[in-house]
Amino acid sequence: MPSQHRLIVRETPVELLSDGTGPALLFLHGAGGAGRWLPFHAELARRFTVYLPKHPGHGGAPAAEWIEHISDLAFHYLDLLDELKLDRVHLVGSSLGGWIAAEMATMASHRLKSLALIAPVGIKVDGWIYPFLFAMELPQLVATVFHDQAKALALAPGDLTNIDTLAELYRERAALARVSWNPYLYNPLLRRRLGRITAPTLLCWGERDRVAPLLCAEAWAKEIPGAQLRTFAASGHLPHLEEPEAVAAAVADFCGPREVAR
Amino acid sequence: MKFYYFHLMPYPMEHDEPSSWVTLSNRRYDPEIGHALYNQYLDQFEHAERLGWDGLCVNEHHQNCYGTMPSPNLMAAMLARRTTRAKIAILGNGLPLRENPLRIAEEIAMLDVVSGGRIISGFVRGIGPEYFSTVVNPTHSRERFYEAAELIVRAWTEPGPFAFDGRFYRYPFVNPWPRPLQKPHPPIWCPSQGSSETVEWAARRRFPYLMVFTPIKRIAQIYGEYREACERYGYQASRYQLTVNLPIVVAENDEKARTIARQTALWVYHTGLRMPLTFWVPPGYLTESAFRRSLAVPRKLPTELSFEDLEEGGYIICGSPATVRDKLRVFSDELRAGIVCSGLPAGSHEATLDMMEMFAREVMPHFREDAAVDETAGIGR
Repeated sequence: MPSQHRLIVRETPVELLSDGTGPALLFLHGAGGAGRWLPFHAELARRFTVYLPKHPGHGGAPAAEWIEHISDLAFHYLDLLDELKLDRVHLVGSSLGGWIAAEMATMASHRLKSLALIAPVGIKVDGWIYPFLFAMELPQLVATVFHDQAKALALAPGDLTNIDTLAELYRERAALARVSWNPYLYNPLLRRRLGRITAPTLLCWGERDRVAPLLCAEAWAKEIPGAQLRTFAASGHLPHLEEPEAVAAAVADFCGPREVAR
Repeated sequence: MKFYYFHLMPYPMEHDEPSSWVTLSNRRYDPEIGHALYNQYLDQFEHAERLGWDGLCVNEHHQNCYGTMPSPNLMAAMLARRTTRAKIAILGNGLPLRENPLRIAEEIAMLDVVSGGRIISGFVRGIGPEYFSTVVNPTHSRERFYEAAELIVRAWTEPGPFAFDGRFYRYPFVNPWPRPLQKPHPPIWCPSQGSSETVEWAARRRFPYLMVFTPIKRIAQIYGEYREACERYGYQASRYQLTVNLPIVVAENDEKARTIARQTALWVYHTGLRMPLTFWVPPGYLTESAFRRSLAVPRKLPTELSFEDLEEGGYIICGSPATVRDKLRVFSDELRAGIVCSGLPAGSHEATLDMMEMFAREVMPHFREDAAVDETAGIGR
């Protein structure tokens, strides 16, 4: 069972889950993934000390009004590394979390032993416009995000008749909208900065991704020097949730040797 | 009491789509029909002035069949030249929806000068779906609203050029030509559905508060809150600060009025205002406390309201002239609203003109104790 921690990072409260032994690995969740210790994390915790913080405003965490831009979240997590006294880490992020991780890598690659991006959003890809998830009712959202829709149950929100639950979900959507409403799900400045990333980079992608299809993966692979791409046949936008063992093995196999090499 | 003729300029149609807003395909819009409708609607406005209405109201909505007036200032411009006496109330411009709100200051000033000082300038945030249509970040809505309002009022009242450096809007030179004709500026109204933050802001700035499409119980409650807030700010609200927007249907008898209203009012609520909850409440559009309040006192969505809800709840008024007079008395005497903004939807253009004539002949004259008063004198500034 992961342990829960509360700390303060430059006056912003952070709630995080942590478990495992071994080198430090910071996981940044996507929308809806806050505070959920998934089989994927348990798998990684066998070889790494996994840190899973909630983004401010997500998963019931208090919102941080100062966060207006995706780079604010990136700086926030670089500050978290300082607070945790982690000099260099393996950084893994899914979707929105992958976007934040990529921003961090363009700012401070030297803090990363490796970078694993699981279907990140965050760049504009020619020929693709991300579907506007904010406009979707739950059934359409689930059908868009997941290949196997039964897997969506892992992220099912709590009691939707409870005012606190609904208010927390509203807070989370607002926190997401603040950094991603327009431009929708990308930072126009990020793509040309990806070439600055020097950390060894793995891209994990669901072949059935309907939020950011494989076309996007190719753009990321082209921009990040030496990036490797692994695809997962039975996954939509969240392969670490739909095929946790396979994705965890891919990430661990990628990160592990980088641990020894440096 | 003052009477303002309010028009949504709908594109009346039936469809089975889940939303009449944002995503309803504009393939369904026939510009030939639109041409006829716009001109009928403008005729109705001009007719309203001839029949004695004190004001004509237009408003802003985007990408929907409910109200085909994405630019209310354009409609106001047409009315400015085709009418001579009535106030022209723009209820309102969606301030946060504009990237350049100085343009609103310019357009309103133009209209005010052309119309000889007949413009009333409503300031609104725009309802939820507008944030999907314009893609303005809804989490910025409230701050952009206040900032744009401040910019516009200063642009109208402070000699230019001056610099304005806000969070969302920045100008090294604020110096609009023309300046508005009314002094110090056209009256500002706040149309709203009763958010406490807006009530407070409007009362503090002495801006008239317009309740839009709200049940009468809630109107009474919000008017009470507004009057209290005015007293806290050290003054008594004029009755012309309390206005209401409610559709009225009048016919020879109650039964006939009800038959018409059942068709026209239900179209507005069940078709015109049909949209999923995600569009009504975009993320961050409400503060978390306002969101919690909305859950704690749940209200029905427009599509969930029956005709009986509308009639008994006082969302609309319908009946014979005598019935309509009685129901309006509640607004004028009990709620002490000074201005009623109302459309009189009757189905066809001809039926609408007839209904307007009946209203002007048999209802309006009974509420004219204040005929000599200029309802905008000293109000809304």
